[in-house]
Order: sequence, then C-alpha cells, then structure tokens
Amino acid sequence: MTPPRLSNPLSTPPIINFHVLTMRPLMLHGHERAITQIRYNYDGDLLFSVAKDHKPTVWYSDNGERLGTYNGHNGAVWCIDVNLDSTLVLTGAADDTAKLWDCEKGVAIQTWNTSSAIRSCGFSHLGNLLMFSTEDRKDVDCEIFVYDTRSNEGAVSRIKVEGERVSSGLWGPFDEFIITGHADGKVRHYDYRNNKCIKQQHMHRGTVTDLQLSQDKTMIITSSKDCNAMLYDVDELSLIKTFRTDRPVNSAAISPIKDHVVLGGGQEAMEVTTTTTKSGKFEAKFFHLIHAEEIGRVKGHFGPINSLKFHPNGKSYSSGGEDGYVRVHNFDPSYFEFEIEF
Amino acid sequence: MADFDDDDDFSDPEGFEEDISDEELLGDLLKKRPTLDTDEDTLVVIDNAPKVKPELMEKLKRILKKVVGKFGTIISEYYPVDENNIFKGYFFIEYATREEALNAVKTCDGYKLDKNNIFSVNLFTDFDQYLGKLDSKWVEPKKEEFVEIGNLRSWLLDPDCHDQFAVIYDAPRNNMNAICRNTPQEPSIVCERKSWTDTYLQWSPLGSYLTTFHAQGVALWGTDEFKRIGKFTHSRATLADFSPCERYIVTLSNVVDNPNDPHQVIIWDVRNGEMKRSFKKLSNEEWPVIKWSFDGKYFAKKGDDVLSIYESSNFGLLDKKSIVVRGIKDFSWSPSDYLISYWVPELGELPSKIIITRIPSRQEVATKSRHLVSECKLQWHKQGDYLCVKVDHWVNKSKKQQVSCFELFHARENEIPVDSIEIKEPVIDFSLEPNGSKLAIIHGEPPTRISVSFYKINEKGTPPAKLKIFEKQASNNLFWSPAGQFIVLAGLKSMDGQLEFIDTSDMSLMNRQEHTKLTDITWDPTGRYVVSSLSFWSEKMDTGFIMWSFQGKLLYRSPRYMERFCQFVWRPRPPSLLSEEDIKTIKKDFKKYQYLFEQKDRSIKTKASKGLMEKHKKETEDFRAFQEKKKKDILRRQEMHNDYMKELESKLASSNEIIETSFLVKEKREKVDV
Repeated sequence: MTPPRLSNPLSTPPIINFHVLTMRPLMLHGHERAITQIRYNYDGDLLFSVAKDHKPTVWYSDNGERLGTYNGHNGAVWCIDVNLDSTLVLTGAADDTAKLWDCEKGVAIQTWNTSSAIRSCGFSHLGNLLMFSTEDRKDVDCEIFVYDTRSNEGAVSRIKVEGERVSSGLWGPFDEFIITGHADGKVRHYDYRNNKCIKQQHMHRGTVTDLQLSQDKTMIITSSKDCNAMLYDVDELSLIKTFRTDRPVNSAAISPIKDHVVLGGGQEAMEVTTTTTKSGKFEAKFFHLIHAEEIGRVKGHFGPINSLKFHPNGKSYSSGGEDGYVRVHNFDPSYFEFEIEF
Repeated sequence: MADFDDDDDFSDPEGFEEDISDEELLGDLLKKRPTLDTDEDTLVVIDNAPKVKPELMEKLKRILKKVVGKFGTIISEYYPVDENNIFKGYFFIEYATREEALNAVKTCDGYKLDKNNIFSVNLFTDFDQYLGKLDSKWVEPKKEEFVEIGNLRSWLLDPDCHDQFAVIYDAPRNNMNAICRNTPQEPSIVCERKSWTDTYLQWSPLGSYLTTFHAQGVALWGTDEFKRIGKFTHSRATLADFSPCERYIVTLSNVVDNPNDPHQVIIWDVRNGEMKRSFKKLSNEEWPVIKWSFDGKYFAKKGDDVLSIYESSNFGLLDKKSIVVRGIKDFSWSPSDYLISYWVPELGELPSKIIITRIPSRQEVATKSRHLVSECKLQWHKQGDYLCVKVDHWVNKSKKQQVSCFELFHARENEIPVDSIEIKEPVIDFSLEPNGSKLAIIHGEPPTRISVSFYKINEKGTPPAKLKIFEKQASNNLFWSPAGQFIVLAGLKSMDGQLEFIDTSDMSLMNRQEHTKLTDITWDPTGRYVVSSLSFWSEKMDTGFIMWSFQGKLLYRSPRYMERFCQFVWRPRPPSLLSEEDIKTIKKDFKKYQYLFEQKDRSIKTKASKGLMEKHKKETEDFRAFQEKKKKDILRRQEMHNDYMKELESKLASSNEIIETSFLVKEKREKVDV
C-alpha cells in the first residue's frame, strides 16, 4: 500500500483564453513566401518585414497599408533593422549581401558583398554603428562586421566567431557590446573594439532563434529550437526565468507595458505538411514574465511563427509566419484590465 | 572344447533369497492376467425419481427409459421397491460401455423431470470411492471466521461528494495507476500504484470494485484502502463484465489451457470466487457474450439460431430449453423490466424482424417486420421507457441506395406501440436521452455535410416531433449527460476535436470548445462534469485529459506528472437511496443548498490558491527587487555615458519632426485584405 501522494497544487496553472481572438487581426499579405523577420521603428508607426521573397516591405502599422518595398536583393532576406530616427534601413540576405537603404526613398545607399549569407543585422541604439553577421560555410568562417554609417570607410571591426555560427544578434545597452545567439545555444557578449568574446552563457540546447531586449534594456529574452525561451540579465547573462513550451520557439518578445512575454514558433516547416494546423502548435503563447506560467494563446497562423514583436507602446503585437502573413493584433480593452488573480 | 557332460547346477545356492519381485520379473504378463469384471464401471445410479404406486410403475419406467436411453444402450435395469411395492425413487441402469455411462452422468445429472424431481446421477463406483473415505460419524464443519472486508462504498461518504476516477499514466515505462478524487482545480490522488493492472482498469457497475487484468487472471479491489477482495484465476483473461447487481463476474480469455474443457467464458461468483458456469465462445460473438437482465436474475446468451436464457439462481437453462430464433443477430435486455429484445435478418421470403419477448413467460409482446433490411442496431432507453432500433434498409431491390429508419417501441405503454422516423441520409450516431424522451441523431455526409437532429418522442400515438436541427456540424459522436437534458456533441479522432455543449431544454448552444484529436468523452455519474481525453494508446503526442463543467467551462487539464496518459474511468455510483418525495423536497429547497455550496466553493478556492499566491508574491518581490537594482545600475551608467545620452536625446528630438515621406520608386498603394 503506497501512501497517497500529496500532489503539488501548483502544477497546473489555469489558462485564461485571451479575448484577442474576438478582435480580428490585420492580416498583411504582401509577401509571397515565408516571413523571416519583422521589426517596428522607434515610434511604432511603421512595420518592416522581410521574407524569403527578396523584397523587404514597409507597412503602416495602424491600418496595415503597404507603404512600399525595397527592391534589390536577389535572395531570401533573413534580417532587417531600422535606425532610431527611421532614416536608414539595414537588411541582410542570402544573396551574400547586406544593404543599407534610404528608408524614405527606398533606394540602396550602400551594398556590402560578403562571402556568405547574412543571418543577423542591427543598428546600434544610437544609429551610428551597424553590425551584421555572416554564416559559416565550407571554407568561410562566421564573422561579425561592424561599420560606421557616417563614413564610407572600411569596417570598424571584423570579428571572427569561434565555434558555432551566430544565429541572431543585437546591440547591448549604450552600445557597449554586441550580444549574439549561436546555433549551439550559446549566448555571448562581443567587444567590437577589441574583437573578442568577453562573456558566454550556454543554457539552451538548440539554436538560439531570436534575441530581443526589454524596453528598459535591462534584460534579454532568447528563444530556441529546444522549445524554451529564456530571460537573461543583459549584463551578467545570468538566467532569470525559463519559459517552457512543447514546440520549437522561433521568436520571443517582452511586452513594454505589462509583465508578459509572447512566444511564437511551431513544428519545423518541413514537418508541417504531415500535421494539421491544430497539432502543429502554431499559436502564439503568452506567458507571465514573473511567474513563467502560460496565461493565454492566440491562434491564427497556418504555419510556424518566425518572428514576433510588440508595438513600442505595448498596445498591439505583430507576428510573421511561415505562411507568408504578417498579423497585427490589437489587444482588446480587457487585455489591459487582465491581471493574474489567484 | 567344453565339457557338456556336466550339467550346470541351476538351483539356487543354499541360503539364497529371491530379491526380485514377480512384478519386476513378469510385469508384462501379470498385466494381462484376467481380473474379475464387476461391471460396476458401466453402472449408474439415478436418484430423485418420483415415488409411485405399483400401478403407475410401468408408465414411469417407460418415461425413465426414454430419458436415460438417450445416452446409450441399456443392458440391464433395476427399479427397487419397498415392502408395499412402492417404487423407492431411485434406480440402476447398466450401459454397454463406460463412455455411455460417463456421458449419462455428465448430461443427465440435474435433469428436470418435473418441478420436484431433478435427477441426481452418479456412477456406481463413485459411491465406493467417496463413501469409503467418509467417516461414519458426522462432524460439524468448522465455522469459518468471518472476515470483515470493510466498507465497499466508503467513497460515497466523502463529505464534499467528490466523485472518484481511475487513471493510467506514465505508460509504458512505469505504468502508473491511480485513483483520484475530482477536487476543484486539480485531482487529488487517493491511491497510486505502479503496474497495478497489466492492461486496463475497469469499475464494477455500482462502483464497489476496481477490476485489474493480469496474466494469471482478474483481480478485484475495493474499500478505502483498495485491498484485494477477490481473484479469479483465468489465464490471460482480457475482458470482464459484471452482472448489474455485482453478484457475478464474467471473464473471457482467448487462450485455451485445457483443450478438453475450453473455459473461454467463465461466470464467477464475486463474493466467494466460485466458478459458476463456463461457456465456449463462438467466433462470431461480440463482447459481452453474456447479457444480464437489469437485476441479474436472468442472463442470456446467443447461440446458433437460438437465444438461451439462464437463471442465475441455479445457472440452468430457463425451462430447460432455449428460444429458437433462426438467424438471431443481436439481442439486448431492457434496463428496467424482464423484457428481451432481439432482431433477425431476412431469411428467404421472411422479412427481417425485431421482437420483444417477456421473460419468463416467453410471450412476444411486440414485433416489427420489414423487408430489405441490411443492419439493425438496438438501443434501450436508460430507464427502459423506449427501445430505439436503427434499421438500415435498402430503398428498393436493386440494393443501391440505403436509408435509415428509427423504430421506437414505447415499452411502457399498452401493447407497445411503435413509431418510425425516416432519415434519408447515412446515420453516424444516435442516442436516447436518459431520464427524458429525446432522441439525438447525427446524420449526413462526412466531413462537411453533417447535421444533428433532435426529436421528441410523444406519448399515446402522437408521432415524434422534430425539435431542432443543427447543420454543418463537426461531430461524429453523441454523449448525453447521465441525468439527461445536456448533451455533448464531439468530433472524435479523425474529426477536429470540437466539443459542443448543448442544453436541450431550449436547444441552446452553451459553449463550443476544442480538444484536438481527442479519443474519448465520459460524463461523471452525476452529470456535473465531462472529461475529454487523448490516450497514449492511440496518439503519442499531447496525451492527457481535460475536465469540463457540464456547461463546457474548462476546469483543469490533467496535471503535468500524468504524462503519457492512457485511460480515464469514472467510478460509477449506485442509484440514489432517496425516495422520490425526498428528491422533490431537495429540488424545492434548492436555493438554500445553492447558497451553502457557493460558500463552500469559495472557501476551497481561497484555500487552494493560498500556496500559489504566496509563491507568486515571492516571485514578484524578487523580480521587482532585481528590476530596481538594474534601474539604479542603468542610471549610474547613463552618467558615465554622458556624451552618448546627449546624442541620443538630440536624435530623438529630431526624429519627432514629422516629415512627409514619398518614395522615388512609388508603389501602387494596394488595398490589403484585412
């Protein structure tokens, strides 16, 4: 006779279905292929998206109207960023080029030809510097390039990456260092002045798919193929929280106004044909930032979500999926009243 | 050369003693030695014949000879009489062979000549065998110590009336089996054991026993500690079924241990573990092979062209003979009366027939016949008010188009009138409302053109009325609440896993929910909760169950430790002991109880959430402290990066100037699908 086990009353948190569903999202359908990354500008009035269809696109975020495209790439575009005052756009693509665009006019100002595909790119917070990273190939190493937008001279620095390639990257607070996520799950700090890695953390067991800073630049959230998302102290790279799911996570974002994070992902694109929409787990999942418990889900995409971003004012969020759609979700008023009650 | 003159002396030397027995020396010959044939082997004694006067003796002999003559050739017979020439009531028969005698003993024993005379047949040699060993003095058998097994219904004493259920999870590695109480927010485990059962768990119909299956047989567990109460050795038993009164259990094993005695289906007495009767399983029979009447007084079994009704008082055939039903396909008992229904397919020119027969009188109380029938499905109303039969039949002789027809037998009304409902589409599922008079039918062409229709069955000749039709449904199964009124429409397995909770009193859809790929739906015995589950037996991913309220509100999901979940079974409840007046009074004072229960619910909720609240409070405090520290850190660094901040501020100021943008390469502004 085994004694009855006192089960942990905390093991199943109640899942509240958000009413986001009741409000119809804006479905931005301009891309012909899978969305790879989306990005808001500082003010949040513009939404930039890149996809595998070679054409970075900019939209009005409030009504979903397409403003224009940046034509010039000859391969899948993997990453995009826009500078602080929305004058420059940076894109990196699989045609082995990174391009700097005039945001307003839609023309390429500069093109960097590299020896392999660009996987991540970003403006420094100030916008003076930019970085992009290349993939490693057979006889090409993975590298991080840093350029100054104010001059046409060569690279400010060129960092050779040891170990697995950079899968995502962004600038740390005050542009002191570059934070990178790697294909083997490592997260690193790179000092671009001295071209070396200064800090490393290895918590994930799969590719770090996305890195995003919190609004106050004190924390970063990583998402990984190992089905987890993790919250780190941006300076110490110490783990604060882990958000566990049952699917590969392709992107994670922290709400600027609430203690919420949103995770998106789903089964790998190649496996999707064998499963139905429902079992593919393509919903965006909301977690409580502090309690790391799931609090809601938003359905909609027909394929995995590849990129998620909160609007800078926190009143809406957008997701770009393998299905080629960007969906802009405005939260219902009830979302803002919603507090976890126990 | 040897010398032959001297004969060897073969005589034993002096003092030699034989140490070999005759048996060893000439065993083979001794075996053939003739023995005295007593003929006792072929002699049987038959007792319990009527004691008749001499003048009736001849007639009786004729009858008796007819009975016993069936088993073989009678060589001699002897009918002893007493001093008044009155037959003593027992007689001796000598058969030609031992086999015939054995056959007579086996078959004729228990033969009912009439009500008072049930034969008791024995081999004559058996008397020696048994009587010889008996002590001539009768010794009073020792009284067996009474063993208190405990209260089999202790779970009903739960002050909060939480129902119990059994689950299997963590399969196949650990095969954890647990009994849980359905407490709010999360189930609490009452008893948990590893590999309790080899295959699955089953409750007895009134919830007293938990059945587990093992290689050696079937075991029953009960009381609040779940100790073993009974075991039935039946190797590799795969299925078990109880009589409704829980007195008997039927087990089935497809493995035959002893080819001479194939006990594939065995009926046991639950209380003392005695084997009551065994049957061979026919290949075309479906489980349950044996069906019991509502109180367990009779049980029925289908044979080739016969329906055999047995009495559980003596496990013999009712009136010594089966009902001959040519081509019988399926049968079922009424859940409230001694009525048995069955159907036969078309035989030549004879139409297919649905028949209700009263037991034990064997009077056919209702029949309905129809031509061109391909299949019938019988379903009794849970309280026995109606028998609903779905009849699939062809439209014409070409047998191309098939339609379904529902025959509704009003079992409570005089002469059992029959109503019919025609459905012109294929029928996917149908179900009668318990405690009510509605019939729900899912029909249509899957996957898109599925409808659910509700009919009300009216009394006294008024035809059934269509209440409502729900079109474009995504469901393939119906699950009525055991209390009636509420129904769940579900799309199991291949369907999308949609659940619709409908209140049939006003035909309103209360809630629509989803549980992708769900495999099972079960209502708790009180009709307060619904469980949808996805079993590891059919799917490897996302297994687990969800507890819903009857209105379709999600109450909780299966706890995380119940991963690789396999089975969920509610513990049934015995019928209420309250009289109808009591129930009426309770319903009248419902408001009073409602208030009490609401209060209780609230206090439970706060209690359970206290721990969680504390945990959350601590987490929040820690996190806010971390944020505060970081904020200070950032402020300090801002001072360090004085130039940086200045530049940032100027940039932000300039970006706030609104600039009208225009593209050189102007895209045509397109309307975007919203």
